[in-house]
Amino acid sequence: MEAHAAEHDHAAHPPAANASSGVDARVLGMLLFIGSEIMLFGSFFTAYFFVRVVNGYPWPPPEDHLPVFVAGVNTVILVTSSFTMHWALQSIKRGNRAGLQAGLVLTLLMGTTFLLTQIAEYARVGFAPGDNAFATIFYCLTGLHGAHVFVGLTLLLFTAIRAFRGHYSPEHHHGVELSGIYWHFVDVMWIVVYTTVYII
Amino acid sequence: MKRLGAPGFFRCLWMIPLFFGIGVGIMAIVRYLEGWDPVWLNEVAVTTALVTIPFGFLAGIGAFDYWARYAIGQPTEPEDHSGHGARSWRDYFRVNTDHKVIGIQYIVTTFIFFLVGGLLAMIFRAELARSGSEVVDTQAFNGLVSVHASLLIFLFIVPVFAGIGNYVIPLMIGAPDMAFPRLNALSFWLLPVAGVMMLSSFLVPGGAFASGWTCYAPLCTDQPLGSVFFNMGVQWAGTSSIMTALNFLVTIITMRAPGMTFWRMPLLVWANLTTSMLVVLATPFIAGSQFFAMFDRVLHTNFFVADEGGYPLGYQHIFWFYSHPAVYIMLLPGFGIISEVISTFSRKPIFGYRLMALSLVAILFLGFSVWAHHMFIAGIAPWLRIPMMVTTLLIAVPTGIKVFSWLATMWQGRIHFKTPMLWAVGFIAMFLIGGLSGIYLGTVPVDVHASDTYYIVAHIHYVLYGGSVFTIFAGIYYWFPKMTGRMYSERLGKWHFWLTFVAFNMTFFPMHYIGLHGMPRRVADYAPQFENWNLFISISSFALGASMIIFLYNMITSWSRGPRAVANPWRAHSLEWQVSSPPPLFNFAEIPQIVGGPYEYGVPGARHAVFSDDGATKLEEVSSDAETEVRG
Repeated sequence: MEAHAAEHDHAAHPPAANASSGVDARVLGMLLFIGSEIMLFGSFFTAYFFVRVVNGYPWPPPEDHLPVFVAGVNTVILVTSSFTMHWALQSIKRGNRAGLQAGLVLTLLMGTTFLLTQIAEYARVGFAPGDNAFATIFYCLTGLHGAHVFVGLTLLLFTAIRAFRGHYSPEHHHGVELSGIYWHFVDVMWIVVYTTVYII
Repeated sequence: MKRLGAPGFFRCLWMIPLFFGIGVGIMAIVRYLEGWDPVWLNEVAVTTALVTIPFGFLAGIGAFDYWARYAIGQPTEPEDHSGHGARSWRDYFRVNTDHKVIGIQYIVTTFIFFLVGGLLAMIFRAELARSGSEVVDTQAFNGLVSVHASLLIFLFIVPVFAGIGNYVIPLMIGAPDMAFPRLNALSFWLLPVAGVMMLSSFLVPGGAFASGWTCYAPLCTDQPLGSVFFNMGVQWAGTSSIMTALNFLVTIITMRAPGMTFWRMPLLVWANLTTSMLVVLATPFIAGSQFFAMFDRVLHTNFFVADEGGYPLGYQHIFWFYSHPAVYIMLLPGFGIISEVISTFSRKPIFGYRLMALSLVAILFLGFSVWAHHMFIAGIAPWLRIPMMVTTLLIAVPTGIKVFSWLATMWQGRIHFKTPMLWAVGFIAMFLIGGLSGIYLGTVPVDVHASDTYYIVAHIHYVLYGGSVFTIFAGIYYWFPKMTGRMYSERLGKWHFWLTFVAFNMTFFPMHYIGLHGMPRRVADYAPQFENWNLFISISSFALGASMIIFLYNMITSWSRGPRAVANPWRAHSLEWQVSSPPPLFNFAEIPQIVGGPYEYGVPGARHAVFSDDGATKLEEVSSDAETEVRG
């Protein structure tokens, strides 16, 4: 190992890697990760499919009721937060730091509202995960999505802290872009969950 | 005191209790607020520990340090490469961002799990030597079998390929490191977590998880606590492999040297590209299946409870939607290794290079369409059987293309039977047997007869031992000089191969026979007419275990005091052999220019890469060497 170390010292810095693709490595990594996440949701939707379509379990069973309207309002809130996120990213691209900060704070607030509404819904919906297969799928699909909202909010919180401490510029804003991509994914996923669980 | 704050094992001493404390605290508060009695339940606390302790460990050794600083808004410091490379053996025991160090960390760790998994097999082979119950009781037997399979699949075969790929791929494509070095380090450190978790299930009341490596629900939801160790262990190992695969994909797509088009990549890189795609898309399904099984047990949900509207067969569908592609996750990188080895030691270009790459892609797609062939006797919809049989048989086509291409590559080549080549040729023969028994099993009538017999055990071991493990040995011997800078003992390597080859066949070939005669798998006791064969198999399996001693002796002594290896002992063309052994800290002083394919052995004037410095002259020598060996 000693001889090995001696050889190392003459190259203290790596050569710059060749960029063999036009895609940015971080964006590509995030997109692949989202691909993986979609498959995770896919496995939960498979369980949904088995219970609702294969088994033909009543959806919802006569004794249970889903708060379609409240969840609909919640959907509007989450979709709006995607637009404020986009605004934040566009602002920093034009060098508008106040817009970035305001956009991130609004997104954070709306995301938190969504999550709190979801928790309140769990408390009042009147059935528990263990009651029947419908309740299991309902809690696990919305819960999986809620966990993703939580992760997205955490990322946005880090981004906001950095935005308020003076990071990011029109040239360097990957942190905003990446957490933004993730947030849009969480948002689109909710529309799928809302449609399949609450509406149809 | 300073050591308690710096990243390392000392910091784990308080970070692990801290994270665990926060976890059980939240658990207790939730239980108290919900009015569940009792507030403290050992089983729930253990489950919480399996989620929180790994985070404490990872935070303690410093896997999250950079991101934590980023999160609280500190300026990102320009990389000083202080976490990069190994100057002493201690550097292998910390979070290291050098892909070469991580590769060796991976390989050594996974081989430790290989040994442990193999020793577990020795115990239950001792039990199976005679009928009746002598060594362990039935629950312990099931635990041994389950942990054996889980360790070897999730902590040896899947990650050891990630280890070899980690070491070799950035070198092969002309990159200074992986795309995300810190993510790479994190994914390595998840492995010991998962492995220790699975092994520690032996210590809890009720013993290790005992419902097989498939952990079928609802069987596993009624098992003792050990079952949760499997559920969570798979999650950690799966997270690790998803992150590594993501890293491979981004590295291969965005960091290839100038001139290295997709059609100039070595086949090992192709193999890891397709495997990584499989891992990223399929692994979430096993994560899902383990979440459901664990929730059914811990949260009393009804995913697989038929009485409450759940669908018990759903577990198998979701599980096999990952675990069949996982068979290819465990084989495709091996195919890549074999392509490198066969071409180099036959001194001939690979036969049908493009078709070799495309057949990998074909396996990637077909691999997602065959999962239910594991469930022919499980009571699936009858119409699903024939389509699944057809796709299963179809997948033999791209696999057959690969086997014939390897043979055609060797045809009229100047074959050098060095140890890696022996393993490669042994692989082709053994994998052929495993592949053929797979075709039998893929057809519904044979499968109905042979399901849950030793025929299945024989098949999976011909595919995963004679297949994957042989390719792993080929790869380890092939890149040993590059990784360690020293040569292994060729004589011991050949002894290792022949002893393994003979003992392997003596162990597993008779299993076809007793399986077709009706000996069921996963039983601690069996009918007396199988006694003689089982004694024979047990003795052979001990010989197979003993062959590992030669391997370990060879590796350890050669690594510490073997003769120094030259940069390119096999006179291979691909990039990793054009740098010193072991490679310099950042692989290349300057990124080379790629001008041709990687396997142009014996083609006059052909070159793979041009280096701006002395590397070019070195390569020229190699090429002219090769020209003297024009095909006969």
